[in-house]
Amino acid sequence: MTGVIWGLKNLARQPLRTGLSLIGIAVAAAMLLDMVMLSGGIDQSFSDLLLRRGFQMRLTPKGTLPFDTEATIGGVSEIVAALRRDPAVAAAGAVLGTSVYGRTPDSLVTLFGYGIEPEAQSLYEVTGGQDLTSGDSSGVVLSEAAARLLGASVGDTVTLVGRLDPQVVTAAVGRRLVVRGLVRWLYDYRGQPSVGTVLPLMQSLSRQAAADRASLILVKARDDRAVPQLADRLRQRFPQVEVNSVADLVAHFRERLVYFRQLSYILGSMSLIVAVLLIATLLTITVNERLGEIATLRAIGVSRATVVAQVLAEGTTLTLIGAVLGIALGLVTARYLDAILTSFPGLPAAFSFFVPRADTLAFAALVLLVTGALAGLYPAWLASRAPIAATLRAEAT
Amino acid sequence: MTPPPLLARELRKDYPMNGVTVHALRGVSLRVDRGDYVAIVGPSGSGKSTLLQLLGGIDTPSSGSVEVLGTPLDTLGDSELTRLRLTRLGFIFQRFHLLPVLTARENVELPMAEAGVRRAERQGRARELLEFVGLGHRAEHRATQLSGGEMQRVAVARALANRPAVVLADEPTGELDAGTGQEILDLFRRLNAGGTTLVVVTHDDRLAAEAGRVVHMLDGAIRD
Repeated sequence: MTGVIWGLKNLARQPLRTGLSLIGIAVAAAMLLDMVMLSGGIDQSFSDLLLRRGFQMRLTPKGTLPFDTEATIGGVSEIVAALRRDPAVAAAGAVLGTSVYGRTPDSLVTLFGYGIEPEAQSLYEVTGGQDLTSGDSSGVVLSEAAARLLGASVGDTVTLVGRLDPQVVTAAVGRRLVVRGLVRWLYDYRGQPSVGTVLPLMQSLSRQAAADRASLILVKARDDRAVPQLADRLRQRFPQVEVNSVADLVAHFRERLVYFRQLSYILGSMSLIVAVLLIATLLTITVNERLGEIATLRAIGVSRATVVAQVLAEGTTLTLIGAVLGIALGLVTARYLDAILTSFPGLPAAFSFFVPRADTLAFAALVLLVTGALAGLYPAWLASRAPIAATLRAEAT
Repeated sequence: MTPPPLLARELRKDYPMNGVTVHALRGVSLRVDRGDYVAIVGPSGSGKSTLLQLLGGIDTPSSGSVEVLGTPLDTLGDSELTRLRLTRLGFIFQRFHLLPVLTARENVELPMAEAGVRRAERQGRARELLEFVGLGHRAEHRATQLSGGEMQRVAVARALANRPAVVLADEPTGELDAGTGQEILDLFRRLNAGGTTLVVVTHDDRLAAEAGRVVHMLDGAIRD
C-alpha cells in the first residue's frame, strides 16, 4: 500500500508531463476502442439490422444475395404459400425491388420501388401515417426522401409510372396512389427515395406480374434455434433458390468487408504499441530521475516489492485515467467516423460500423490495462535493481 | 551475553575504477556497543562513508564481515537484509533524501508502513517523533516546504521510526549552516542520552567533539 500511495503522489510531481502523457494515452486508447468496435461492430450491426423484425432467412435467386443483382425468383406465390404451410415457419413474404418513376408537375423522378406483402415484411418501420394493408391496391408508403421529391405527404395522391421506354420516354403503366404513410426503409442508403406498394401492384408496374416474380422471400422461423435445420430443409425443398440465413449473410458480408477488419487490427495494434511506448518511456524517465530517491528508500529498508508496486501503480493509474478519457473520446470519434462511413453510397443508413457494447468497452479497457501494467515492468525492474551504494555515492558527489 | 549492535571484522572494499583497483577499505575492524556515540572522521576519500555503508548493509565488503546484533550480514539474502535495515538500523543522509511528495508525517510513517505497523499506531508514533525533533507543528507540511534543518530533523525522526538498534548518519550537518547544524548536534546529544546508539560520519569538529568515541580514518584504515 505504501508503494501505491507513493506512486500515485509521484504522478503529481510533474503535472504538465503527466497531463501530456495522459492525453497521449487517451488518444491511443480512443483509437484502440474505435478499432475494437469496428472489428466486431460491422458484424453485430449487420446482424441486428437483418433481425430487426425477426426474419431469420432470405430466399434469393440462385447464386445471388438480397438485392445483389436484378435477378428475380419465378413462381413466388407458390413458394410463399408452401412456406406458410410449413409448421416450422411463422411467416413468409415476397419482396420485389425495382426502379419506378414518380410524376412531378414538370418531370419524372427516379424512385426505388418495393413490392411487399404487408402481413410479412421486414423492410421498413412506419414513422408517420398508416401502414399498407393486404390487398391495398391504391395505397403507397414513401420514404422521407421520396416524399420530398414528389412534394407529397400523408393523404396526398401521387402518380407512379413503370415500364418506361427510355428511347421515347413514354410510360406504359401509370397508377395514381394515395400516400398511406411515411416509412423508414431499413436497408436504404442515406437519402434514398423509395416507395412501397403491395406486391401485385409493384409487379404490374415493373412488368413482373405475368411471371409472378420477386427479388427475395423473407422467412421467419418459429424457433431461432431451429434456423440452421430449417435452412437445410428449405435448400432441399427449393433447389431453384438460394437460402440464406442471417448467419450466412453475415459471413458473406464479413468476407466483403474483410479489409475493414484487417485495418482495425493493424490500427488497434499500433495504438496499443503507442500507448505502451508512451507509458514505458514516461516511467523510465521518471525512474531515472528518482534513482537517488529510490536508492535511499532501499537503504532505509523499503523492499524491492514496494518499489516495483510504486512504479506499476504509476503505470496502472496513468493507464486507468487514460482509458477513461480514451473511452469518452473514442465514443465521440466513433460517432463522427460512423457518420462519414455510413454516408458511402450503397450502404444502409441504419447500419453502424462502430457499435458500442459493454463487452467491447470492457475488452478494450482490459487490454489497455494489461498492456499498461506490462509497460511498467521494465521501469519497475530498473527501479528495483538500482545499486544502492553506488547510486548514493553518485548522489553525494 | 548480548551481542553488540555492530561488529565489523577486517573489512576490505575494493572498487574497479578506470581499469585500476581502488582500495577503499584496507582491513577495518570496529565494535560499537549499546549506547555508544561514535564519530568516524577523516579526510575525503579516507573510506568513512564506505565503512558506514558496509556497517549498514547497503554495500557488501570484498572481504571481512559485519554483524548486526550478532547476525552476520553475509548470511542474509536481499529481502532479509532489507528487513534488517528496516527494523534494526536507522539511516540519516547528508542530503536528507525525504520524499518530496509526502508530508513530514508521511515521511516518518513510511518505514513503519513498510514494516507493517498499523495506521493508528504509526500515526501516533510519527506525531510523537516529530514532537521530539521539534516539528510537531510542521507535520502536515510537504518536505519541499521545509528548511534544510527541518528536513534533517524529519530525517532523524524517520530514522528512529522503527526503534532501531543503531542510527547511522553520513555527514548529517554537511548541508546545513552552523546554527542549524547545532540543532542537529543537540538532537543527537539528546538521542544518545536517551540510550540510542549512534555512528556518525562527519567532517564537523563540533560533532566529533560531542561523540563519546572518535574513530580517525586515513587511506581506508583506522589510524589509531
